[in-house]
Amino acid sequence: MILRTLRHISLWGALCLSLMVVAHQTISLLSLHTENQLISTLLAGKAVDVNAVYEGKPELRLARAYFLKQHKRYDEALTALGQIMEKGDKSFQAKVRYNLGNIYLEQAMLDVEAMRMNTAMPLVGLAKQAYRQALTLDSGFWDAKYNLEVAMRLLPEMDRLNLEEEDASNTQKSQLWTTVPGFPRGLP
Amino acid sequence: MRVLLLVLLLTGCSGSNTDPVSTLKLETPRPFGYLIGDEIPFKVMIETDVGVTLQAASIPATGQVNRWLNLNQVQLQQRELHGRWHYELELRYQVFYAPLEVKLLTIPNFTLQLLQNGKEISQIVPAWAFNISPLRELSIRKTANGEYKRPDALPLLLSTTTPWTGVVIALCVAVVSGFYLAALYGLLPRIFKRHVFRRASQQLAKLSKADMDQALSCVHHAFNTLNQRPLFHTQVHDFYRRHPNYKQMHEQVDWFFNYSNRYFFSNGMIAVALDVDKLKQLCEQAQKIERGSQ
Repeated sequence: MILRTLRHISLWGALCLSLMVVAHQTISLLSLHTENQLISTLLAGKAVDVNAVYEGKPELRLARAYFLKQHKRYDEALTALGQIMEKGDKSFQAKVRYNLGNIYLEQAMLDVEAMRMNTAMPLVGLAKQAYRQALTLDSGFWDAKYNLEVAMRLLPEMDRLNLEEEDASNTQKSQLWTTVPGFPRGLP
Repeated sequence: MRVLLLVLLLTGCSGSNTDPVSTLKLETPRPFGYLIGDEIPFKVMIETDVGVTLQAASIPATGQVNRWLNLNQVQLQQRELHGRWHYELELRYQVFYAPLEVKLLTIPNFTLQLLQNGKEISQIVPAWAFNISPLRELSIRKTANGEYKRPDALPLLLSTTTPWTGVVIALCVAVVSGFYLAALYGLLPRIFKRHVFRRASQQLAKLSKADMDQALSCVHHAFNTLNQRPLFHTQVHDFYRRHPNYKQMHEQVDWFFNYSNRYFFSNGMIAVALDVDKLKQLCEQAQKIERGSQ
């Protein structure tokens, strides 16, 4: 008799619990579907409700930062990325830092083209720092490697001494030569 | 494949067994083909006397080694084997040098400090050279779109795998428990009663005249299940009224109940193979009726 009662209670419990899980997961699915639609809209270059973005997942904010950058709203894009720097897994954090580096690099290039070197150089420095952070988080991030090399060409770092002659035990950061603004145009 | 670069057998070289460090091995990967941002794993293996301890403070700390080199990870493992200490120091460097052409770089040497009877011993881990290559050509070309760098990383669409899995599993649990509950509450009588004689036939097929007890019980169980309560010979008319299809086999049913009474309640009743065959025929007949083919 007790066993039968227990069986009934457990069956009803399992039924209720599973129905609750179904309801909860269905709500989650609907929410994810909505957020995926918002991400697709932002990636297509169309604006969405800001409140929906800030209540959503970090991926949504990354998509909004991308949208803002496409519309040259760099400061807002930087703010959006700054808010999700520590969110998500390592791969996501690397993406955020990489996109941050791209914004700095793009701004720097605009300044270089306008001959505003004083503002361009710190931006390239920030871009390099962001790419290095991205690569520290994900050393297989090929796009970050490529863009870091682009930034390095824009603002090379050179040691005062030849590397072969360098004292290897010296762990102090080497003093740099003066920076060379602009890309090298290649060999003749 | 890692290449063993340097093996210093201190004991073998000196011919003495009193040297504190008997072996220093450096296990490194290939020395070429590196690009900016690559990680380089580096393993130092040291074998010492038991009384010799490696000073943790002398192990390189993670962080920036120089302008283009970072030390991302340091891991020390220590174990005793055949009366000697084996230290394994795993280092993971990351290189951030942007060469204009293939260039030879060197991971600098460092010194490990060991302690033996209060006396400090220095052991230099040698430098290691490798080639690094540029990732792109020297000049910066813009594409037709004016792009000179790799585009932004796009966010992936949010995965719906987990909630879908949750929905499917929870739905399965709900269906099974709901179905079971419906059966317990008698809401699915037809489904459970539909194949009672098929199951009885399957069980009878495995039995012989020596198992007459089981054979009769099996057929009784089938009738009881169909009747939703125990069925006795005196109640067969009521049974036929509710299950008129079975009336056509009333002779076999009557024989079954009479035989069962005699078998269970008379002394000296001996079952023969013919009786088992009759039971099987009864079940086959009932099976045809339950599946609607007769």
